[in-house]
Amino acid sequence: MSVELIAYGCFFLTVALTYAIMCLGLNLQWGQTGLFNVGIAGFVAIGAYVSAILTTPDTAGRLGGFGLPMAVGWLGGALAAALVSYLVGRLTIRLRADYLAIATFGIAAAVQLCALNLEPITGGPFGIGFIPRPFAAQAGNPLLFSLFNLALLITVVLLLYFALERLVRSPWGRVLRAIREDETAALALGKSATRFRLQAFAIGGGIMGLAGAAQAHFIGFIAPENYLPMLTFQVWAMLIVGGSGNNRGAILGAVLVWGIWAVSAALIAAVFDPGQQARAASLQIALIGVAICAVLLLRPQGILGEMRTVSRHLGTLAKRTQPAEKRPE
Amino acid sequence: MNPQVLVDGLIAGAMYGLGAIGVTLTYSILRFANFAHSELLTFGAYAALALSSALGVLSAGLLAPIGPFSFGWSLPLAAIAAMALTGLLALAVDAVLFGRLRVRRSSIIVMVMASFGAALTLRSLLEFVFTSKPAYFTRELQIALPLGGGMRATPDQLLALAVAVLLVVAVHLLLTRTAIGRSMRAVSENQALAGVVGVDVRKVIRVVWLLGAALACVAGIMAGLLVQLRPYMGFDLLLPLFAAAILGGIGSVPGAMLAGLIVGLAEAGTVQLIGAEWRTAVAFVILVLVLLLRPQGLLGRPQA
Amino acid sequence: MSTVAPPPALATQALVAGYERDLPIVRGVDFQVAAGELVVILGPNGAGKSTLVKAIAGLVPIHSGHAFLAGADITRSPVQEKVRHGLAFVPQTENIFATLSIQENLQLAADILPRRVQAERIAEVCDLFPDLAARRSARAGNLSGGQRQMLAVARALIVKPSVLILDEPSAGLSPKIVGEVFARLKDINAAGITIVLVEQNVKAALAIAHRAVILVEGELRHEGPAATLAEDPIVAQLYLGAAPAGQEEGR
Repeated sequence: MSVELIAYGCFFLTVALTYAIMCLGLNLQWGQTGLFNVGIAGFVAIGAYVSAILTTPDTAGRLGGFGLPMAVGWLGGALAAALVSYLVGRLTIRLRADYLAIATFGIAAAVQLCALNLEPITGGPFGIGFIPRPFAAQAGNPLLFSLFNLALLITVVLLLYFALERLVRSPWGRVLRAIREDETAALALGKSATRFRLQAFAIGGGIMGLAGAAQAHFIGFIAPENYLPMLTFQVWAMLIVGGSGNNRGAILGAVLVWGIWAVSAALIAAVFDPGQQARAASLQIALIGVAICAVLLLRPQGILGEMRTVSRHLGTLAKRTQPAEKRPE
Repeated sequence: MNPQVLVDGLIAGAMYGLGAIGVTLTYSILRFANFAHSELLTFGAYAALALSSALGVLSAGLLAPIGPFSFGWSLPLAAIAAMALTGLLALAVDAVLFGRLRVRRSSIIVMVMASFGAALTLRSLLEFVFTSKPAYFTRELQIALPLGGGMRATPDQLLALAVAVLLVVAVHLLLTRTAIGRSMRAVSENQALAGVVGVDVRKVIRVVWLLGAALACVAGIMAGLLVQLRPYMGFDLLLPLFAAAILGGIGSVPGAMLAGLIVGLAEAGTVQLIGAEWRTAVAFVILVLVLLLRPQGLLGRPQA
Repeated sequence: MSTVAPPPALATQALVAGYERDLPIVRGVDFQVAAGELVVILGPNGAGKSTLVKAIAGLVPIHSGHAFLAGADITRSPVQEKVRHGLAFVPQTENIFATLSIQENLQLAADILPRRVQAERIAEVCDLFPDLAARRSARAGNLSGGQRQMLAVARALIVKPSVLILDEPSAGLSPKIVGEVFARLKDINAAGITIVLVEQNVKAALAIAHRAVILVEGELRHEGPAATLAEDPIVAQLYLGAAPAGQEEGR
């Protein structure tokens, strides 16, 4: 086994795990709470840009960089994305369910536009380079460097996973599911149901921001074209394939779909002429669309399905509320 | 401000308004935001392109420009067939996807998500078939005619404006003066009661898909004629169309047209005053303002 | 037997219905209404009265059993077909199209009739409801509660139904308006239309009905002529027996 292969494996897994973080954020929003976010790329971009501005060395002609420690950057990125999510949610959550989808769709477009046009802040079309990379001291040794990076991402994902699992099992998490599953429960909770949803949406957005920050630091530079709607579609495919409502499924889906994506991209590169590659890539995307529809129609629970322990909670809850829930006589 | 802004804004706005009518109709009766509406637009435009080229091959005379316009008879003929094809596509997608979810009483958001998946599939397939290279209905160059007051417009642009106005009036009359229009408004307000009164709700849904798709097709052809055809042309219009439909008030046809014109004018004004690079932000800003200040829209009724 | 009796205007046979398959609310109801009758369905809250009539009208799934309209099996006919067979239903709430005008509400109902009789039928119904006729272009959403109820009844009458079913027409109305609505129902019945009424307002309903049936826990427990039932102690017993002591009647 060559060193390059192991290094490549680490690289692949590290990237996949940054997607896993986005997936965990989306799972909190959609899987646990039923909030449809079509602007994932926007929230990821906010996290990436804020962290990059906070941590890069001072650059002429651009805001910052402030040269702050990486941890500050990651935290700042997450908080900024959470704040924007909160504002979007605040605006739309009390309205029709699908207005949130339209608004998040809009915010992603707006963020993309800002990244492109606000050159004094974001570096414009060229983006931001020289983003400090974790374990830069080890950069001379590719194997060690990639192993350390992978270890860091694994740690972050595990920490998030356990934190989210706790959250889901907490009374807070149970209320979230109750609101999602049961219209009557949501109505009975009234205003506070909106508050719970808003909290979940903001935390989920924050997690996406964290993913954006982690990815930016791992790759070392960012540009607006990293955050096209395509990213949103990919993360959705990951969650749906893995199983929404299930944090392990979210992680598994991310690794699996990223793997399929990488392999199929390599396949396309090998099989098609360079001229036809872009065209063949569109079939890749069509497959994501078909997968989303097929899963909704055939297996709404995804590969792993919703977690048993929590489902049981839900079952008892649903049964208890059922007779009262019947439509008015 | 340059008075040309007014013309540019009105022409773009007419296109938005036409697209937004389709969105607002399907939205109010099917009760979910259909993210695949934009792909009906793109599909319609490409279908017209393919048919029009085919007609041109059959008879070159059909390609000769009609009067002052840039296109020959092949385009209007193709447009009619493309409207039918787009309608069939919408019915097909409803049969395999939305209809099944409706029968299961899926939540709004599951429908929205399904539309998202359908949009992704359709758009990518169109990109695969027609490639991402821009295409054009015609290579004829047109000279903008002076309209007075320093304003200019090409005959194609004026035609687009006229077609939009005509279609808005036609759809409005259909909704307010005919039995099927009454049924559509009834289903939009209360589906169960409409059934009790004798309205065949499934038939109304089919008619709405056909109508919405045909309107999307016309809007797509218009966008293709005035700008160009690209697989992402509909996707890029999605935000302005949703913004216009919500600003106008979901379910209101005159509202959608009015709001489309507002979005078009606001974009033209932004290009003039701030810069072309911010044009696409206008729809988002309008959307946020409506949701903040008047979620039911200009001419809409309050929504639960 | 020498002659065959005409089939009842409306009948159900072992009808089981409910929103969900494993949770029937109506549990095996046999129920008959003769042509020309005015029958009221009574019963405590949650007895399944509303679900029974909604199932007959086609708004709630029927799990088993049958429903007949003048002898014809209408169990499986979709909701929009039933009105064409002569069964009109007036739901309890949201029973008019608030965004349509009064005229449009009536015209919508008339749309299923042959074109040449539509205007005539609307005019006939408007003669019965002069208050509505005077404001035909007004938006129905601007009407008062009593006027809405009148409009809902008027709209149901457009198709000349053989059977008219009303789900709690008195709900939310003041006693005076209830009196007016019920008087109108009595007139309509006198004109030959069979009426089935679900009611919480026992007194007002029994005053105009020929016959009453009492539904408890999804089953038909008792029936009798309205005049004697008003005095019958079994009525109070059935009501109280089903509801825990202290629970208020109505909602």
